[in-house]
Amino acid sequence: MADVGGDMAEKELEKPTYGFWIWAMASVILRLFFIFYFPENFKLSSRPEVSTPLTSVRRLAEGYWLKQSSMSPYAGSMYHGSPLLLSVLGPLTSQWIEGQSSHHLCSLVFVFADILSALLLRAIGQKLQKTYSMNLKRLGVLRSSGDRGILPCGDIAALVYLWNPYTILSCVGLSTSPIENLAVIVSLYGAVTRRVPLAAFGLITATHLSLYPASLAIPLILLLGYGLDAHPLKNFLHTRDRGVETGSTSDVSKQDKLTRTTQLPFLWRTVLHFVFWVLVLSICVLVLCSLSLKQYGGLEEMFKRTYSFILNIEDLSPNIGVFWYFFAEAFESSRNYLLIVFNLYILLTSLPPLAFRFKHRPCFLAFAYLVMSSIIKSYPSGGDAALYLSLWALFVNELSDMNNLFFILCGHIGVSLLSPVVHNIWIWRGTGNANFYYGNAMGYVCFQFMFVEESVNAMLDHDKALEKATGKMTKN
Amino acid sequence: MATEKRDKEEEEVKTDDGSLKIKPRPIVQLGIFLVAHSPVFSVVFSAAGVLALLILPLLAKNTYISENALMPGSARSMLSNRDVSDGSKLVKDIKNYRLNHEGQVQKLIGKYMSEMGAEVYYQKFHPEGNQFHPLHFFSGPDSYTLLDNVSCASYGVNVAGIIRAPRGDGKESIVLVTPYDFINGGDYEALSLGITGTLFSLLARVTWLSKDIIWLVADSRYGDYRPVAAWLTEYHSPSFKDSDLLKCGELNTADKFRRAGTMAAALVLKVDGRSERFEDTLSIYAEASNGQMPNLDLINVVNYLAVHRQGFYVKVEKVVSLLSSSWLKIIGEIFEAVGKLAHTLNPDWNFGIPTADYLEGSATLASSLYSQALGIPTGPHGAFRDYQVDAITLKVSPRFPPDSKTRQHDFFLRGAKLLEGTIRSVNNLLEKFHQSFFLYLLTSPSKFISVGVYMIAFALLVASLPMVAASLYIDGCKALNNSTLNPAGNFKSWKWLDAAKQVFALHLFGLIVTLLPYFICQVPGQHSPSNRSIMWGTTSSSLLLITFATIPGCSPFSSRRHGTNWAVLKSVTISAAFIGLCLMSIINFATAEIGALLLVPTCLIVQPIKPALRSRRIKSLLGAFCSMVLLTIGFPVMLFAISKGLFGEGLVGLSLGGEFWTWLESLWAWKSATYLYIGMVHLPCWLLCLCILFHPS
Repeated sequence: MADVGGDMAEKELEKPTYGFWIWAMASVILRLFFIFYFPENFKLSSRPEVSTPLTSVRRLAEGYWLKQSSMSPYAGSMYHGSPLLLSVLGPLTSQWIEGQSSHHLCSLVFVFADILSALLLRAIGQKLQKTYSMNLKRLGVLRSSGDRGILPCGDIAALVYLWNPYTILSCVGLSTSPIENLAVIVSLYGAVTRRVPLAAFGLITATHLSLYPASLAIPLILLLGYGLDAHPLKNFLHTRDRGVETGSTSDVSKQDKLTRTTQLPFLWRTVLHFVFWVLVLSICVLVLCSLSLKQYGGLEEMFKRTYSFILNIEDLSPNIGVFWYFFAEAFESSRNYLLIVFNLYILLTSLPPLAFRFKHRPCFLAFAYLVMSSIIKSYPSGGDAALYLSLWALFVNELSDMNNLFFILCGHIGVSLLSPVVHNIWIWRGTGNANFYYGNAMGYVCFQFMFVEESVNAMLDHDKALEKATGKMTKN
Repeated sequence: MATEKRDKEEEEVKTDDGSLKIKPRPIVQLGIFLVAHSPVFSVVFSAAGVLALLILPLLAKNTYISENALMPGSARSMLSNRDVSDGSKLVKDIKNYRLNHEGQVQKLIGKYMSEMGAEVYYQKFHPEGNQFHPLHFFSGPDSYTLLDNVSCASYGVNVAGIIRAPRGDGKESIVLVTPYDFINGGDYEALSLGITGTLFSLLARVTWLSKDIIWLVADSRYGDYRPVAAWLTEYHSPSFKDSDLLKCGELNTADKFRRAGTMAAALVLKVDGRSERFEDTLSIYAEASNGQMPNLDLINVVNYLAVHRQGFYVKVEKVVSLLSSSWLKIIGEIFEAVGKLAHTLNPDWNFGIPTADYLEGSATLASSLYSQALGIPTGPHGAFRDYQVDAITLKVSPRFPPDSKTRQHDFFLRGAKLLEGTIRSVNNLLEKFHQSFFLYLLTSPSKFISVGVYMIAFALLVASLPMVAASLYIDGCKALNNSTLNPAGNFKSWKWLDAAKQVFALHLFGLIVTLLPYFICQVPGQHSPSNRSIMWGTTSSSLLLITFATIPGCSPFSSRRHGTNWAVLKSVTISAAFIGLCLMSIINFATAEIGALLLVPTCLIVQPIKPALRSRRIKSLLGAFCSMVLLTIGFPVMLFAISKGLFGEGLVGLSLGGEFWTWLESLWAWKSATYLYIGMVHLPCWLLCLCILFHPS
């Protein structure tokens, strides 16, 4: 389903000016239609695929209510999100539009967040596309500037984001993941357009809201330090062609081919600037949080109820991840050990190797990190898939030769449809049990792994193919 | 899961084809082998799937009581003649009351219950009309919606009495339901009140009860199911607003709705008609909505007690027309001969059964499959299954006319003893039923086929789908590589995109067609079913034309340049059908099995008809003919007409559209997932097969 948006986008290749806006408007209208006319007995907002303990607006409304009646919003283990989000979204949950009985104002905010994310994605995509074609031209692979081989990846990514069923469901289903996604996309946009404070702001907001985007600090630093995604050969050719690389005005001396990758210019000043902003903003956020929670235990309470809740996997209600089942089964004595192992596993096995391999492609690295964190998150939801699928669409040009795409797509569709069925069998009909649902969750994780693995392989192949092509060129 | 895994292997193979450098693992090699010879294997697998289905009656096992705590028949019955005379008196009173008075028989029953020492209350309910809720399958039992302006013209009154268990803590209960039409109930129906009254008289004074007993006399003026469903809804989701119904009628029902904890099991008792056999007959109905069954142990207990203690003749539904079908008889004889042969070869092989048993088993199995596939509950017990309560309907047909007094005493005694034994067994339970099977098919009251066995038939049928899809995908990609028309030359992995677009568009169309009846029902004015079906038909076909016109390459009649490669299209279609069938097999196995029997051969055999006609070879013409026939049968309306003809319900006439509409209406009113399957899996796949058939290649 995810790629259906892609289909539509591709169809619009011929007339990119109107097509994008028409489809974007259509997606907004669809969302509004769903918000106001969706049958309520589906209870989308309480489905585990849509909202998790962290992202549920129902819980947020509860927290706001508690706070209004001067109790700690975290009392009773209902709300686990950020206190700042509570202050921003909370008032909206209690204000009802005439005649409507649910949180429609919140939904409208989410629709707006989705549109904004899509527009930012489009801007990122346009930038990436420009760099891509420039790089290809410089490498000599691309002959004419008007070559039609390059797809408008910005438009495609934005439409994939807007038309992805996961996005639509999490937007309509009262989950805060559109806001979290927006924060991540803002940070990427800031880094791509080299607006350092914006990037730092996005990173801090995303981390504050859901902790896992903290891993994005590495791609962001790489992005600011090395510039946009490019082929590792770029500097070698860059010096030959005397071209101006996007943002990186380096003065690298002519290097031998063997050592060139180690000699990428790294813009320390920009990065330090970024780190400075990150520090300033995080202090700001902490101060604001402590102010808003002054009477209710302060920062310590917040850390305990949000980040520790995430890392300790305290809520074992079923979700589409793999941890709830495991920790429901695990013995209490080994719980701490397993927690450490799992959390370290994420840190050690996925982050550093990918960072070394893809330091020349920081945006792709961000995509890979987001998939990894969506796989091994403690409370994943469909909204995470929405984010990484649209980031994936930014690289349609590079990943055009991806293997097994059809199979992965079929698997994703099958698993996504199976999930509510198995949940129903377990919870309502009693003929299935938890193993059914957990099996489905494992299937989902497998398909996500296959997806990221094939993407990474395709990207490496693409680099290799480019190298081969340029190798031929230089020989000629 | 196994097929999915195989699918995965094949997909791996698919992409590696041609450029294998390292020697693949054995399982991958197996995958390559299967895909390379997919025509042979698909025929073999499909044939094996059909054969496995036919063999099922042979593989049926005898039922056994799995839960030790049940201990049916181990306690001595405590029913006395006093209880029976209480019951008889109740029946007599009801008869007299109805002869002399107009109106509330409920009061009389309520009085009887409270004399026995039970807590009695009356519940008024409003029989709601047919509503379109096909998607309710995903939303769980709906909360009670209060109708604000209900009229007093039509409402029913249920009576319920609760005996509190002397040894219980009031947290568990057993429910007895006797549907009774208070206005025009016949004499036979009153007998069911007599049996339960007898039992109630006993239960009110026994000391061994540890679960409360609820006796619900459901007002069956508006059907058996509605009153029970209304009572259950109020039981489980209380409403805190006073309903307008309370003011209706003379009966004051303002007293509290009483509850008695979670329900361990429910028994619905009905007495109807005279038995055709020498013994009293007991028919067991178990199918709830969407092919859900109660735990097999409940049926076992009832069956055991009825057969071995009370001497009833127990039967389950069967398709009678199959018993006399000659082809099934021939198959049965073949199986019998094979079984005998095997027995002579090795005395341990005892799988052969006599032809008569085979026929009987097949007829019962067919009925079991049919009623599960339809997804409509076969009695009031279906309402309980929505709340995860195991329930069955027992329909007793006595062998005497209803006014014979002497026989009636014996009948009440035996009926009440059967119920007493069952309740005693359920009373022993410490947990809810979980030991035995929930997923099974019955071939006789004492024989069943478990999910592990009957799944094989389905798995074999659909196993060929991913294989053929993979092989077609490879072929199609090769063909696309050779053709110069390919617009996106460098997009190796995107060749399926056009086909996927078409498949997606048609599935979207299927979804819209599925939801259309909701809007058609909203059209103001009274319309006959045939009018509504005509409306539906015209809107859907115009929608289809719009789909074909707006999306290039979607229509089978579009120009060649836009058209996709048919092999890729078929591959994507088969993948969609595979996903749909696998999903359906989890929701409702019987629907998926019957659907696979239709859809799998169609999907496998369909090929463009133009090259076949051009080549004029017998083989290809035969293939084209077969696919034409299968596609004709596969059209849902046609299928409906044929099944009507098969069940001998008269010839198909002009009213077919109306009948089809009524049938579908019953499906969605009962929240059957079969309706969704027909609209969202079967119809789109059928249309896609049609597109492939008329593909301009």
